[in-house]
Amino acid sequence: MSALSALPQDLPPLLWSGLVSGCLYGLGALGLVMVFKSSKVVNFAHGNLAGLAAFLVYGFSSGVLLNLSWGSAVALALGLTAIIGVLGYAVIAPLVFKSDLTSTIATLGIGLILQGTIQIVFGAEIVSLELPIPSFGFGLGSLRITAYDLTVLAVTALMIGGLFFVIERTRLGIAFRAVCSNPFASRVCGLNLRLVHLFSWVSGAVLGLVAALLIVPTTFLSSTTVASFMLTAFTAAVVGGFSSLPGAAVGGIVVGIAMNLFSFYVSPEFMNTFLLGVIMLTLNFFPDGLLEKAAGGRV
Amino acid sequence: MDSSRKQQVAVSELVHPKGAIRSPARPLPELRNLRTWASLLVVAVLAVLPALSGSFLLYSLSLCFANALAVLSVSVLVRYGGEVSIGHSFFVALGAYSVAILEKHFGLGLWISLPAALALGFVAGLLFAIPSRRMSGIYLAVASMALALCLPELLIHMERWTGGFEGLYISRDLVPGVSKAGQRYYLALAALVLVCLALAHFRGSRQGMALLLARAHPRAAEAFGITRSWARISIFALSATLASLSGAVLAFASSTVSPNSFTLWSGIFYLVGSVIGLQGTSLIAALIGGGVITLIPQYLASAGDYVPILYGAALLIVTLVANSGSGLRRFLPGKAA
Repeated sequence: MSALSALPQDLPPLLWSGLVSGCLYGLGALGLVMVFKSSKVVNFAHGNLAGLAAFLVYGFSSGVLLNLSWGSAVALALGLTAIIGVLGYAVIAPLVFKSDLTSTIATLGIGLILQGTIQIVFGAEIVSLELPIPSFGFGLGSLRITAYDLTVLAVTALMIGGLFFVIERTRLGIAFRAVCSNPFASRVCGLNLRLVHLFSWVSGAVLGLVAALLIVPTTFLSSTTVASFMLTAFTAAVVGGFSSLPGAAVGGIVVGIAMNLFSFYVSPEFMNTFLLGVIMLTLNFFPDGLLEKAAGGRV
Repeated sequence: MDSSRKQQVAVSELVHPKGAIRSPARPLPELRNLRTWASLLVVAVLAVLPALSGSFLLYSLSLCFANALAVLSVSVLVRYGGEVSIGHSFFVALGAYSVAILEKHFGLGLWISLPAALALGFVAGLLFAIPSRRMSGIYLAVASMALALCLPELLIHMERWTGGFEGLYISRDLVPGVSKAGQRYYLALAALVLVCLALAHFRGSRQGMALLLARAHPRAAEAFGITRSWARISIFALSATLASLSGAVLAFASSTVSPNSFTLWSGIFYLVGSVIGLQGTSLIAALIGGGVITLIPQYLASAGDYVPILYGAALLIVTLVANSGSGLRRFLPGKAA
C-alpha cells in the first residue's frame, strides 16, 4: 500500500533514469542489429569489443598504457576499435556466406580472444572511468536531472540522428538497405556486399564504444561488467525484433525502464533472470519484436 | 565414356544428396570398422587404467568424462538440431545441483538423484525450447546466453537450497564399500560409454532419421508429419537431458558443486569442446572435446589468462578449416549430416 501511495514520488525518477540507461542499451543493440541485418551474423564479440574499447580509453588516459588527454585517448581508442572491427570481420569473412550459425560460433571465438586480451593487459582490476563533464544538476519535481543525463541524451540523439542520416540519405545507406532486404539482388546489381558488411561492422564497433564509455560512469569497468551489458543489449535487440533499427532503439528504452522498475519494486539481485524472462516472453508472444506492426518493413 | 561416368555420379548424388540424410553406413565401411576398433581399444585402455595409475590422474579423467558428456550434449544439438547453445552450463548445473540438493536436504543417494536429474533436465530443456520453436536458431543462441548469465545469481541468492557461494558437498557413495576414486571413475566412464552407444544407435533409428530430415529438408519432413518445431523442441530436450546427466556425473566425480564452475564461460567452453571435436557424437570426438576443456585449464593453471585466447583461437581455426574449400577439408574425417 505504501508503495502505491509513494508511486507519484518514485515513478518519475525511475522512468527518467531508465530512459537514460535505456538509450545506451539502445546504442549497443543498434550495433548488433546493423551487423545482423546486413551480414546475418549475431555478433557475440560485440560486448567484448565494447569492453576492450572502454579499457583502451582508460589505459590511454590514465597512464597505464599512455598518458593522453581524454579527447585524444578516445580518438585513438576509436581508431583502434574500428581497426579491430575490420580485422574481426576479415577473420570470419570466409564464413559469412556459408551459414549463420557457423559465423556466429566464430564470433564467439573472436570474443574469447578479445576477453583474454583484456585480462592479460589490464588484469582483473576494477577501474572507474569518468566522463570529462561538469557536475551540475537541477531538480524538476521529484526528478533530479544531471549533466550526465543530458550528455547521454544528447550523444544518443546525435549518434542515432547521424546513423539514420547516413542510412536514409547517402549512397552507402541505400546500399546498406538494399543488402539488408535482398543480398542476392544487390549482388546482381553490382553492389559490393563486403563493403556494406564492413560499414555495418565498423559502425557497430563505434556504437559499442560510445555506449560503453557512457555506461561506465554509472557502474565500474571490469572484465565482467561487459558481459551483463552485452546481455542487456541483446535483450533490447530481441525486444525490438532483432532486424529493425528503430526497434533496437525503442527496445533499449523499454528494457532500460523495465529493468529499473524491476530492480526497485522486485529485486535488484535477479536482473539477468529478469532479462531471460523478457527474452522468453518476447520470443513467445512477439516473435518479430514489439514494433512489428508499427514500423512496417522499412529500415 | 567420360559422360556416362558423369551421369553415374549424378545418379548417385540423387540417391545420396550432399548434406542430406545418408544411411547409417557412413563414408567407407573400412573406415567405420577402424573407428569401432579404435573406440573399443580406447575403452579397454580406460577400463584397466585404475589398476595402473595414481588417483590424481583418475580424478582428472573422471572430470574429462563428465565434461565429454556435456560436450556431447552440445554436439547433439548442433548435429541434429542445427542450433547453437552457449547456455548448456545451466542444464549441467541443474543436474549437478539436483544430485547435491537431494543428498543434502533429503538424504537421497545417486540411485534416486540421477534419474531425478535426468527428468529435471528433460523438463527444463522442453520449457526453454518452446518459446523459440518457430524462430531461427540464432534466437535460441541469444536466449541461451541469458540462461547462462542468470545461473550464477540464482545459485548465489537461493542460498538456503544451494549453499550460496560455497556450494555443496556430495559424500554419499554409489556402492558402499568400494573405493571412492574407483566408483567415481567407473561411473563417469560407464555413463560416457553408454551414452555414446545410445547415440550411435539413435543415429540409425527412425527418430534420429526423422530429426535429421527435419533439419535438412523441413518441407519433406513436414510431409511425413514431422513439424520443424516438434523436431527442435525434442532435440533440445534430449540435449538438455544429456547435459543434466553430465552435471550429475560431474557432481559425483568431483564431490562438490559451486557457482564458480557454472558461469557463462563454462557454457562457451562446452561449445568450444564440441567444435574442437568437429561436433562429432562418437566416443573419440567427445573425449577429445572433453579432454581439451578439462585438461588445458588444469595443466596451464599458471597461464590462466591465456586460456580464453587459446580457446578463441582454437575455435576460429577449427571453424575456418572445417568450412574452407575442399582443399583443406580432405584432411578431416567424413562429415555426414
